[in-house]
Amino acid sequence: MESQHIMRAFDRDLEGIQAMVMRMGGMVEAAILEAGQALEARDDELAEKVRMGDKAIDALEEKIGEEASRLIALRAPTAGDLRIVLSVMKIAASLERVGDYAKNMAKRANVLGQMTAIPGAGGSLRRMSKTVVQMLSDALDAYNTRDAALAEDVRNRDREVDQMYNALFREFLTHMMEDPRNITACMHLHFIAKNIERMGDHATTIAEQVIYLVTGVMPEENRPKAETVTAIGVGGK
Amino acid sequence: MDDMRLADSAVKAAETKIAARKVQVFYGDSHAIKDVDIDIADRTVTAFIGPSGCGKSTFLRCLNRMNDTIPACRVEGDILLDGEDIYDKRVDPVQLRARVGMVFQKPNPFPKSIYENVAYGPKIHGLARNKAELDEIVESSLRRAALWNEAKDRLSAPGTGLSGGQQQRLCIARAIATSPEVLLMDEPCSALDPIATAQVEELIDELRAQFSVVIVTHSMQQAARVSQRTAFFHLGNLVEYGETGQIFTNPRDPRTESYITGRIG
Repeated sequence: MESQHIMRAFDRDLEGIQAMVMRMGGMVEAAILEAGQALEARDDELAEKVRMGDKAIDALEEKIGEEASRLIALRAPTAGDLRIVLSVMKIAASLERVGDYAKNMAKRANVLGQMTAIPGAGGSLRRMSKTVVQMLSDALDAYNTRDAALAEDVRNRDREVDQMYNALFREFLTHMMEDPRNITACMHLHFIAKNIERMGDHATTIAEQVIYLVTGVMPEENRPKAETVTAIGVGGK
Repeated sequence: MDDMRLADSAVKAAETKIAARKVQVFYGDSHAIKDVDIDIADRTVTAFIGPSGCGKSTFLRCLNRMNDTIPACRVEGDILLDGEDIYDKRVDPVQLRARVGMVFQKPNPFPKSIYENVAYGPKIHGLARNKAELDEIVESSLRRAALWNEAKDRLSAPGTGLSGGQQQRLCIARAIATSPEVLLMDEPCSALDPIATAQVEELIDELRAQFSVVIVTHSMQQAARVSQRTAFFHLGNLVEYGETGQIFTNPRDPRTESYITGRIG
C-alpha cells in the first residue's frame, strides 16, 4: 500500500511500529555477529557487551507490543493495515527470541573461553551465524520492500543452516567420542549450534510473515527441511 | 482450518433468497447502478458498504421497489425473490413490501400509539382475524425487537415519546410484524448512540435466525460486526462481494482495500 491514509496520524503510527521492528532487527543482527566474533576470538569483553545489550532488545519488543495494541484499539486497522500490525507483533516476538539465543551464545562464549579450544569449532559456528544473519537481514529487507519472492528465497535457505547444524553435530560427537575431556566444551558448542539453527527457524518465520503481509495468505508448510540429527541413535548412527 | 470458520460455513449452507442479475438503475440521465449481479443468502446478514453516492442505498431500494415512487428512476435487469421476478407486472408492490420490509436511517414511528405502530401492518394486510391475534403479533414483534419490557406498560402511549434507540427498535418491530422474509435496513443506527446501536446490532444478529437481513451502513466496523457477507459498491459498480472476514482481512480488489483502510485510493 503506497497510498496514504486520509487520517495521516494513522500512517505515522504504522510507520512508527515498523521502524521500531527494523531497529530491533538491526540490533539483533549485530548481537549475533558480535557473539560469533566473541566466540571465535575468545573475546570476553565483546561477549559481555552482547549479554548486556539484550535488555535493550527486550525493551524494544515490549514497546512494539504496547504500540501495536494501542494501534489496534484506537485505529481498528483492517486488511493490509491489520496484516502490518499482526506481522509486526510476530516479527518482534521472533526477533526477541533470536536476541535471547545470541545472549546465550555470548554467555557460553565466556565459559568456553576458560576451556581448551576445540579446533575449528569457533570458525564453523561463526560462519553458521553469518549465514543466519544474512537470512534475517534479507527477510527484513523483504519486509521493507514487500518482496514476497525474496522472502520465499529466505525460507528455502533454512535448509543450508540445517545442513550446517547436522555437520557440526557429527563433528562435536566425534570430538566427544575421541576424548571425554572434550565433552563439556562440546556440549556448550552443540547448544550454540542448536541455538543458531533455531535462529534460522525464526528467520524463516519472519519470511513467512512477509509472505502473509504481501499476499494475505500464509505459505503452505512444505518448505525443505534438512535437520536430520533428531533421528540419530546411540553411537552416532 | 476451514471447519473452524463456522460463520463462513453457515453462510455457504444458506440458500439464495434474492438473486439480482445485470441490474441497472438510471435517475434520468445519470447511471446510478451498473450491471450489478449479486446473490443474497437467506438467514444471513449482508452488509452494503461504499462511499456516499456509490449506489448502495439505491440498490437496496430496488429490492422492495421503493424506487418505484421516484418518477425519474428506471430499473433494468432482473431481481428475483425466491426465483420470482419482483418487477413482474403481476407483482403488487404493497404485497412485496410486506415480504421485504424496510427500516430507515431516522426512526420514523407513525404519530400513533406504540401498539398502533406495530399493529398497523398486520391490520392492513389482514394478518390477524381478531383482537387477540393482533395482540399476540404486537407482543411477539415487540419481544423480537427487544422492546417489550420497556414498552409493555405504555402500549397506548405515543411512539414518538420513546427515546431514539427505542423508536428505532419500534420501527424494527413494525417492520417484522408483517413476518417479512427479508428485512432491508438503510443505516439503521446512524442516528443512535453506541448503546442503542449495540442493542440494534444484537437484534439484527438474532433476526438472522429467521430471515435475510440486508443492511446499508457507513460504519465499516458495524458491517464487520453484524454481517456475514459484505458487498462493496463504488461509483455504481459492485466491486467486491464476499465473506465479511475475508473482505476485512484480505480484500481482493485494491479499491476495496483503499476504502476499508481509509485511504485516498
